[in-house]
Amino acid sequence: MLKILIPTLLLIPTSWLAKAKWLWPTTLLHSFIITLFSLAWLKNTTETNWSTLNPYMATDPLSSPLLTLTCCLLPLMILASQNHLAQDPLVRQRIYITLLVTLQLSLIMAFAATELTMFYVMFETSLIPTLILITRWGNQMERLNAGTYFLFYTLASSLPLLITLLAFQNKTGTLSLLIIQLLGPIPISPYVNIIWWTTSLLAFLVKMPLYGVHLWLPKAHVEAPIAGSMILAAVLLKLGGYGMMRLMLILSPLAKELCYPFIILALWGVLMTSSICLGQTDLKSLIAYSSVSHMGLVAAAILIQTPWGLTGALILMIAHGLTSSALFCLANTNYERTHTRTMILTRGSQMILPLMATWWLITCLANLALPPLPNLMGELIIISALLGWSWWTIIFTGAGALITATYSLYMYLMTQRGPVPNHMISMNPSHSREHLLLTLHLLPLLLLVFKPTTIWGSAY
Amino acid sequence: MLIRLSRFGLALPRLLSNPQTRFVSQSKPSGATVSPALTELHPVSEKAGHEEVSPFVKNPDYHGFSTDPVVDEWNMRVAFFMGISVALVIGGTFLRYLPDHGMREWARREAERVILQREKEGLPVIDENYYDPNKIILPSAEDK
Repeated sequence: MLKILIPTLLLIPTSWLAKAKWLWPTTLLHSFIITLFSLAWLKNTTETNWSTLNPYMATDPLSSPLLTLTCCLLPLMILASQNHLAQDPLVRQRIYITLLVTLQLSLIMAFAATELTMFYVMFETSLIPTLILITRWGNQMERLNAGTYFLFYTLASSLPLLITLLAFQNKTGTLSLLIIQLLGPIPISPYVNIIWWTTSLLAFLVKMPLYGVHLWLPKAHVEAPIAGSMILAAVLLKLGGYGMMRLMLILSPLAKELCYPFIILALWGVLMTSSICLGQTDLKSLIAYSSVSHMGLVAAAILIQTPWGLTGALILMIAHGLTSSALFCLANTNYERTHTRTMILTRGSQMILPLMATWWLITCLANLALPPLPNLMGELIIISALLGWSWWTIIFTGAGALITATYSLYMYLMTQRGPVPNHMISMNPSHSREHLLLTLHLLPLLLLVFKPTTIWGSAY
Repeated sequence: MLIRLSRFGLALPRLLSNPQTRFVSQSKPSGATVSPALTELHPVSEKAGHEEVSPFVKNPDYHGFSTDPVVDEWNMRVAFFMGISVALVIGGTFLRYLPDHGMREWARREAERVILQREKEGLPVIDENYYDPNKIILPSAEDK
C-alpha cells in the first residue's frame, strides 16, 4: 500500500518543484508509474479475500478494481487538463495538479480503508478538492451553485452516517470491516432499525446518486472542468456504491423490506433519467444524466443483496467509470474547439474530425452496453439478478435499456452526423494527446473483455 | 502535412495556399448540398492580430501537449510510452498471467477432463447424490 501512497503523496512536491516547462510531462510520468504499480492490487491470492493488509488498510476483490481505476485515472486527468490549463499562470497549474493528487490520495485511502471511520473521513475529505475544482475552474457562473449543491447534498446526507457509525462503534465495540463481516445480526429495537438503515445508506444513495436525490449531479458534472468531470463520473459516484456494499454487511437482517422503496426509486430513476437524456440540449448534461441512469441500475443491484447483484454492480461500476470518463473527454475535445456545449451548435463533426468520430462511435456503443464489452456484462448480470428478485423489474430494466440505446445513438448522431453548422469556420485538427487520452480509456475497456474476472468482485 | 507543402508557395495550385483550413472540395456546390465549401465562405486571415492562432501554424507537428516543440515532442513520447507500452502492455501481461484465483480455471479444466474420461469409460458423468446416502444417519420416525 505504501508503495502507492508515498509516490502519490510525493507527487505534490513534484508538481511544486518541477520546472515550468517540464511540469506536465514530469507529473504524467510519475502518475503512470503509480498506475503501473497499482495493477498489483488486482492480484488477490488469499483465501479470506483481504490482501495487502496493514493495520489501517487492505484491499479485497471489491475494492481493488476501484482502486486501480482511481490510480488509472490520474494520468488521464493530467492528459485531459493539459490543454485548457496552458494559459493559466504556472502557480495555478501547480495548484490544480496538487488538487488532483490530494483527491487521488483521499480516494485511495477511502477505498482501501478497513476501519469505517477512516472510510468516512476520507469520503468527506474527497469532497474538498472536488469542490475547489468545480468552483474555481468551472467555466460558467453556475459553477458556484453547482459547488453548493454538490457539497451540501453530500454533507447533509453523510452527517447521519457519522452518527450511525459512532452508534455502531458504541454498540459492538468495533468498526473494522474485517470483524464486522463476521458479526451476526445486531440486536436493535425495530423502530431504530429503520432509522439505522436509512441513515447508514443515505449518504451513499445521495452519492450514487439515487433518483430523487440526484439533483447535484447534473450541475456538478456540467460545471466541473474536464478533470473534475472525469473523476466525478468515474470514481466519486462509485464511492457511493462501494460504501453501500460495505455497509450492507452490518445491516443485512434489516434490509429485506426497507430496501423496496429504494429499489423502486432506483429503477424508476433509470427510466426517468434516460428519458430526460433524450431531451437534453447540453452535451455534458446528457452525459451526466446518463451517469445517473447507469448508477440507478447499480443502486438497485446492490440493494437486492444477491451475489449476482453485487457482481453485476461492480462490473457496471468499473465499465461505466471508463465509458463515462471517455464521454466527458470527448465532450471536452468538442468544447475546447467550439466553447459551447450545445449539441445543435456542434453537429457534423464526423466530417471535420473523422478519427474522433471513431472514438465517439466506440464510446457511444459502449454506453449503450454493446456486447462483448463489460458494460453489457454488468447490465446483463444486474438485469438477471433483478429478474430473479421480481419479474416486474423487467419492465423497468428493459425499457431502460431501450431508452439508453436511444439516447446514446442520439448523442452520437447529434454530434457527429448532420450538416456542419455555418458558423464553424475553422477547427483545429485533433491532437495526438486527445487520441491517446481516448485510447487509454477504451483499450482497458476492451481488454477487460478478455479477463473479466478482475472486476468480478468477491461475491462471485 | 499539407501545411508543410505550403513552403513551396505559389508552385502549388491556389487551393493549397490557404493552409489553415482543412482540405475540402472546391467544386461548385450542387443544389443538393446546403452549405458551401468552407474555404470559399470564410477565408481565414491573420489581419485582426489578436485572434486565436492555431498552434499548428508555428509547430506543424503539434501533438497537443505544449507550445514548446521540444517539450511537446518529449511529452508525447512519455505519454505514449508510459500509457501504451508500459501501462497497457506490461500491465496487461501481468493481469493475463495472474494466478488462478480460487482455482476456478482449474475447476473448469478438471470438470471437462473428468467428463471426457467418464464418458469414455461409460460411467455416469456425475453421481445423482451430492452426499453418499449410506453415510446419512436419519433419526427414526418420531411421533408428531
